[in-house]
This record gives sequence, C-alpha cells and structure tokens, in this order.
Amino acid sequence: MPEDKSLQSVGATPLRTAVVHSDATAKWFVVSSIAYFFIVGIIALTIAAKFVWPELLGTVSYLTYGRLRPLHVNGMLFGWLLACDMGLTYYLVPRLCGVKLYSEKLGLATAILWNIIILSAVVSLLAGWNKGWEYAELPVWVGVMVVIAWVMFGINIFATIGMRKYQQMYVSLWYVMGSILWTAFVYMTGNFAVEFTTGVNQANLNWMYIHNAVGLIFTPIGLAAAYYFIPKASNTPLYSHKLSMIGFWSLAFVYVWTGAHHMLHGPISQWLQTIAITFSLMLLIPVWAVVYNFFATMKGQWQQLRENVPLKFLMSGVVFYLLTCFQGPMHSLRSVNAIVSKTDWIPGHAHMALLGCFSFFAIAGTYYIVPRIFRTKLHSDALANWNFWFMMIGGLGFFVTLWLGGFWQGWQWNNPAIPFIDTVKALKPIWTVRFFSGVLIFAGIVTFAYNIMATAVNAKDRAALEGGL
Amino acid sequence: MLSKADNSATFAVVAALVLFFIGGILTTVVPPLVDKSWARPFENSDPAKGPTGKLMPLNEQQLHGRAIYVREGCWYCHTQQTRTLLADTKRSGWKGVDSPISTPDEFVYDTPHMFGTKRTGPDLSRVGGKYDTQWHRTHLRNPRDLVPGSVMPPFPWIVNDETEFKSLVAYLQTLGRAKNWRPDNDYER
Repeated sequence: MPEDKSLQSVGATPLRTAVVHSDATAKWFVVSSIAYFFIVGIIALTIAAKFVWPELLGTVSYLTYGRLRPLHVNGMLFGWLLACDMGLTYYLVPRLCGVKLYSEKLGLATAILWNIIILSAVVSLLAGWNKGWEYAELPVWVGVMVVIAWVMFGINIFATIGMRKYQQMYVSLWYVMGSILWTAFVYMTGNFAVEFTTGVNQANLNWMYIHNAVGLIFTPIGLAAAYYFIPKASNTPLYSHKLSMIGFWSLAFVYVWTGAHHMLHGPISQWLQTIAITFSLMLLIPVWAVVYNFFATMKGQWQQLRENVPLKFLMSGVVFYLLTCFQGPMHSLRSVNAIVSKTDWIPGHAHMALLGCFSFFAIAGTYYIVPRIFRTKLHSDALANWNFWFMMIGGLGFFVTLWLGGFWQGWQWNNPAIPFIDTVKALKPIWTVRFFSGVLIFAGIVTFAYNIMATAVNAKDRAALEGGL
Repeated sequence: MLSKADNSATFAVVAALVLFFIGGILTTVVPPLVDKSWARPFENSDPAKGPTGKLMPLNEQQLHGRAIYVREGCWYCHTQQTRTLLADTKRSGWKGVDSPISTPDEFVYDTPHMFGTKRTGPDLSRVGGKYDTQWHRTHLRNPRDLVPGSVMPPFPWIVNDETEFKSLVAYLQTLGRAKNWRPDNDYER
C-alpha cells in the first residue's frame, strides 16, 4: 500500500487535469439547500420562541409546535444538510475520479425530484400527515420518492466511480459509497419495515433508523466532505491513509449495533441494552481515528485558521465532532443516562452533531466550491467571517445552556419531591437564552445565504459583462 | 486485508455491506425472535405476580384519539414509558401509589409506538384514569388555566370539535390501564 504523501493525499492530487466539469447538478443542490436552510431556520426560531411564549401562534393548528417541530427536523436534515452534502458529493466525486460526472441530466432530474420531495414534506407536515415515527414522519409516498431519488443519486455516483481514471480510491470515495449503500437500508428500515411491526419491536427498528440516520448517513457523507475539504482548504496532504482506513472500517462495523441505547432503562430487553452500551463505547475508535488524522494534518498549519474561513468552519466542526461523539458513548452509560436521558441536554447534544459538526462541514464545503463552480470569487470574505462567528457564538450559547439546563433538569427529575411543573419553570431562563442563541445562529444563516447568492448572481453579471466585451 | 478496498470498488462495497449486516441483523431481526415478551400481550390474574389485568386492543374511538395524538405531535414532548428508575415510578405514580414499571408486553398493539425521546411535559405512560373529562377539556383549551407555568400549546381546534375531543380523551384514559395498578380502583372517567 502506498504511504501517505502519495497521490492519495488530495493536497497533492494533480489539480489541472484536462477534464472540464459542468457542476450543474452540484449548483442546483447547493443553492436549493441554502434556500431551505433559510426557510427552515425561520421555523426553528419559531419553535424556540414557543418555549418562551407558549401562546405564540397557538390557535392556528398548522403552526402548532407539534407540527412545526417535525418540519424543522426534516427540513434541516433532508432539505438543508443532506441536499447540501449531496451537492458537495456531486462536486468532489468527479474530481477525485478524474472524470466528468456520469450524467448531469440524471443529476438535474435528481435535484428536481429532491425539491419536489421537500415541498411535499412541508405541505404534509403542516397538514398533520405525520406517520408518528421520529425522523420518518413523512407519508409513504414521499418516502418512496426519497428512495427513487437516492437510487438516482447512487447510480450517478457509482457509475462515475466505475469510470474513474485513478485506480486507487481516496478515503472520501469510500465514505461516499458507504453512505449511499447504508442509507438505502437504514432508510428503508426506518420508513417501511416499521410498518410491519408493533410495540417494542417497532421501537427497536425506529431507533436503529434514528441513530443510523446520523451515524450512517450524515456521518459518512459529512466525513467524506471533511476528508476532501480539510486537505484542500489548507493545501496540506492528509496525515495518514492507514488511520483513515481504521476509521472507516470500524465505523462500518460498530455503528449499527447501538440503536437500543435510546431506550436505556426503558421497556426493552436488558441484554439488548447492554449490547448497545458496549458498542456505543466502541464508537470512540472510529471517531478518535478520524479526529487524530485531521488534527495531525493541521500540524504546523494552524496559523492558517486566522484567515481561512472554510478552514475555521472545518476545524471547529472537527472539535464539535470530537465533543459530540464523546458525549454519545457517555450518555449510553446507565448511570449518566439516568440523569440526561429525555432532558434538554439531548437537543443540546443533537444540535452540536448536526449544526456544530456536520452543518459546519457543509458550510465550509459550500464556501470552497461555490466560487469554483461559478468561476468567480466569493462575494465577501468579511461577511463569511461574520457568518462563522455568529454561528460559533450562537451555537455555543445554544449547546452549553442546554447542557447545563438539561443536567440540572435531570437531577431535579430524580428527586420526586420536586413537582414536575417546577422543573419546567426552572428551565425558562435556559429556553430564553436558547432563543437568543437561535437568533444569532439565524443571523449566521442569513449572512451565509446572502453571501452565496450574491456570489452566484455576481458570477452571472461578470459572465454577461465578459460576453458583452 | 481491507486494503484491497483501496483499489477495488466492488470489494469495498461488499465489505461495507457485510460488516453493516452483521450488526444490523443481530440487533433488529434477532432480538424479537429471542425475547418473546415483545410480542405476547400482557395478561396476569395472579396478584402475587404484580398488578393484574389484560392488554386489550383499542376500539375505534380510542384509535381515532390515538391518531389525533400522533397528528398533533403530542409524543414530541410526552414520553410513554415508566423506566426502571425509582423517580419514574414515583412521578408516574398517583396519590401515594407508585406506578408499575412499563414492560414490553403492555405495548404489543401499539403502532406507531409512542415511547418518545423527550420529556418536555410529564410522562403519560400511566395517565389513564388520573383526570376526568372536564379536566382534559379545560386543560386542552388552555393548559395554563390549570397548570400555571406550563409551556404546553393550547389546542382549541380539538376542544371545539366534540368528536375529536371525546376520542382523544378516550385514548388518554387507556394509557397504562392494562395493568390494574390502583388498589382502590379510583380511576377517573
């Protein structure tokens, strides 16, 4: 096996190949995902506000908390994050393979179908057509469209990999392939297999899906992006190929076992809980392998963080990844779980994973590719820096207050002498801070969306100008 | 061995799927085959073995109520499980009687399951029979009229629709009732 400083390392991959990429599919996915990031951000703020002002929009059934929350979750997961990650994948796979994307037409059709899916999701969820499974709320017909779109995505990516010019595959390509394959099975389990089961059996499938939606969809596709963009953005070769292999194959093996840790102390077999706990602890292996690799890549390069906004997002994302994936295994210990489970700590944890880590990776990738696919330069570096600090400070405010509040709440719950409603009242200051942190995060989304859209529009003006000359 | 996956996409695909399916099958398909209590409805007539009772499937009205519970996302804030934690048995308990721990055999007919992941409001695994219909009517119209400090949304469109309201209450009154856990049978209606 060739060692690390070879062509394996993206930083060293010959950049100027003869291939001219169209990137039309990547453009469509990235731009529409940012539109959803903005729209669903408004929903997110609304539900955060409802915790502070419970009467807000309270008499309109379409806008009640129970209908907006799934819209927030599904919108952010599938409308923003997954769509953006798919856009980044359409960009990086052809480049890592040294060939054009197999079919831009198929890609554009996938982008259109994806937008139809997200718009259908908005209508269904507001109407209350909720199937009642977390992350799998969407009606069956929407789920079927998701599967079709995913197969279209898979065909395009696998066919591109099949035509590749470089025989050896960079680690991002394994993560992309893993993500496409595992997602297919994980998604079908969570959306279709559950229909044929009931009770605890169904809950077990549901939590296998919920857990692996993060672990085997967003983690591998997000890490594929990080493995590509960290070396690229810092212009430094990846530290170790071997370590990336350990990370990938241990992820492939240990992640899927852990679903039952969502039901610790609950009505599910004790032995299954113990298996889930054991494998949850083993998650530290793939995570630390990846994080060590990224940190070691940055060795001697940290000064780049001062100026390089994509790198700021990427490396903060890595730190959040380390933290969130340390929390996860710790939550699965029975003693810790008895305090934090079902409390507000958990949304703090979940937002660190999906906003702090994977959305940061996606934003970094977007900042990196948009000037390149539109053949222009970023509208404003200063605005991108504002975006980073809005999201960093808002994010930390969100995560840290919810951890403190959630931990406190958990202790209160464990003392039955405290009436439940007092534990609710105690959290009100926490929810207020969370709302204002959300305002900061939303300010980050607005600056991000504006910056990217301005870049795209300027590119068109510039092209028109050049055409005119 | 896995370094072969570096150069062969086919090998990478097969290896990734094999590793995934080992854990996937052992934790989803196998457990219900090993633990039969997941599929056997609760039934007990011997008080020495704990609360007596029998799990009954929901009737049409109760199922309608359950569909409303799902539609409005009640389950995002209310769990339905009394866990094996002392505090849970006290909190789900009522008037000095502790709640029995939730067991898989109480949920055999549940679809979609409503165990929940977040407890913004109290757990509802034993709420059946704790409050009467009038209480629910007032509470759903505006929770803060009965529980100052509550952050639960008001649900006027349910209370204003008598059929929906009655169905929802009928469903709530079934929760946790498979186990006859009140020694004095003091359930509200």
